Amino acid sequence: MQNIEQRSDKHESTFNNIIKFKSLLENQVYKKIAYILLLLFSVFLPNIVNNMYYMGIINYMILYAILCMGLNLILGYTGLLSLGHAAFYGLGGYTTAILITRYDFGFLPCLILSGIIALLFGILLGLPTRKVRGDYFCLLTIAFGEIFRLVAQAWIDFTNGAMGIVGIPIPQIFGWSIRTETDFYYLGLILLTFTFITLSLLVNSKFGRAFIAIREDELAASVMGINTAVYKIIVFGIGCFYAGLAGSYLAVYQTTITPSNFRLEESCLMIIMVIVGGMGSLLAPIAGVVVMTIATEYFRDIAEYRMLIIGVIMVTVLLFRPQGIFGTSAFKS
Amino acid sequence: MFFDVLLIGIMVGAIYTLVTIGYSMVYSILKLMNFAHGDVYIFGTFICYTLLEKYNIHPLLAILVAATLGGILASIVEIVAYRRLRSEQHRMISMITALGAAYVIQNSNELQWGNQVLSFPPILNAQTLHIFGLAVPVTQILILIIAVGLIVLFTLFLKYHPYGKAILCVSEDIPTASLMGIPINKTITMVYFIGGMLGVVGGILYSTSYSAVSLAMGFRGTIIAFTAAVIGGIGSLGGALVGGMFLGICENFIGVYVSSSYRDPITFLLLIIILLVKPTGIMGAVEQSKV
Repeated sequence: MQNIEQRSDKHESTFNNIIKFKSLLENQVYKKIAYILLLLFSVFLPNIVNNMYYMGIINYMILYAILCMGLNLILGYTGLLSLGHAAFYGLGGYTTAILITRYDFGFLPCLILSGIIALLFGILLGLPTRKVRGDYFCLLTIAFGEIFRLVAQAWIDFTNGAMGIVGIPIPQIFGWSIRTETDFYYLGLILLTFTFITLSLLVNSKFGRAFIAIREDELAASVMGINTAVYKIIVFGIGCFYAGLAGSYLAVYQTTITPSNFRLEESCLMIIMVIVGGMGSLLAPIAGVVVMTIATEYFRDIAEYRMLIIGVIMVTVLLFRPQGIFGTSAFKS
Repeated sequence: MFFDVLLIGIMVGAIYTLVTIGYSMVYSILKLMNFAHGDVYIFGTFICYTLLEKYNIHPLLAILVAATLGGILASIVEIVAYRRLRSEQHRMISMITALGAAYVIQNSNELQWGNQVLSFPPILNAQTLHIFGLAVPVTQILILIIAVGLIVLFTLFLKYHPYGKAILCVSEDIPTASLMGIPINKTITMVYFIGGMLGVVGGILYSTSYSAVSLAMGFRGTIIAFTAAVIGGIGSLGGALVGGMFLGICENFIGVYVSSSYRDPITFLLLIIILLVKPTGIMGAVEQSKV
């Protein structure tokens, strides 16, 4: 009995410390200063990192950060498990690639259209959430992802099949032609900042509180008068919008795009990044992105063991810290 | 032509059913999507391949050894990666460790056997029978008999054997079953063991009928099992049978009559349509949520 009390005391004190730490972080002034410092650091980062190889890795981190922040909105804020996120990423990528190479569109309209097309398909796939629940919805997203990839592979006239679309030209925005790794870094940074600002505005709005309520307790939320079905569909669509943007970025950054960029493994990787980082907090997935990208790069020399090591990382992180590295709270059932 | 396609469809369906049973049982007990299922079955198939090619062991013995090893691997995955998390608040957590376990097994398989397609030795009689003017390969018939036999055997096991009844009890309600004195951990490990074994046998039969085995078949197997289980209605043996058969037959008809490169997309489209029309699957009962 005493033992139990002692343990609960210990828990309480750690809990209090966490609360104190959190309230310090939640202080608006500190938060703003931290964000401004972070942004300044990001702007001057290319001056510190002169190595193009490292810049390339950082660019991929930014790309995945955008994807994972969008996915986190779906996963961490509504509790829908989507294993088809790569399809929306791919929709964005193919939209940009096809419009730029065949119809001479500028990059900016392509970027916006990519986002919008991903959004529309997201809403379309989100519609079944009204009827199909939980794991079945997860299967739907897997099916959609596979359909997208297989059609992209088989529809040779339109997508050029497994060869993919090559030779995507250098993008230009208002006369700024984006060529070097550093240019792409700044483009990515602009997109990432856009993602973060829009998402934090969304999460802190009335709308955001509604879908947090849905995550905490769907039934209670619906009793409170929240139209849970509509909210879920919209949130799913918005998460996909960012995937479309990331896909567009990928198309111009890689200058080629193939169906194998958007395999199921890619969706799994995004989910892993979000979960390792921690769900349900806006910036936590970035920690997952950084950890997983560095792990992938670090183990490049022993590439044949890569998935094994990543698998072991996943299992151990979740066995001992189910809420992720920086996650605030684990999921409720 | 029509009957040939139908026959092959039924055979593939029976194999899919074998692979699906283990998956569906695990799902109905733990509500866990076992992503490692396909990789376990491909592991067993590779083991069987090695035993046959390198050591020239009698096919029956090879199948038995491979199935047992597959079952053991599935149990190990359960004990290491899932057991600790069973009481975890959200199922998503154990789903991710399942994915991690799948990666580990897949990568280990790749290290051992590589990722190219290997030709699987024929282990069954390769003659062709002529019945009513139809050319029927004996292999197909034997595979069908083995698959259906195992399905029937497993059904009888569940219905009449005490251990089988224990599995059904646990899938109904874990806390109540443990109050009745059923050892939960052992029963769940047993489900994984049997599921792994059946999956391996399904994998070996599949590899024999296409005389090929490759790493990529593993993840596809997981998706096939999940799809078939959901189409039929998850958790029931009848559902696994209906789902597996439906998938096998549809796949073959689409592959032959429509287009082979659009075979998988159309199958998945069918799945989406079925889920929209009947979200619980063809044979599934409506799940009631407790408030």
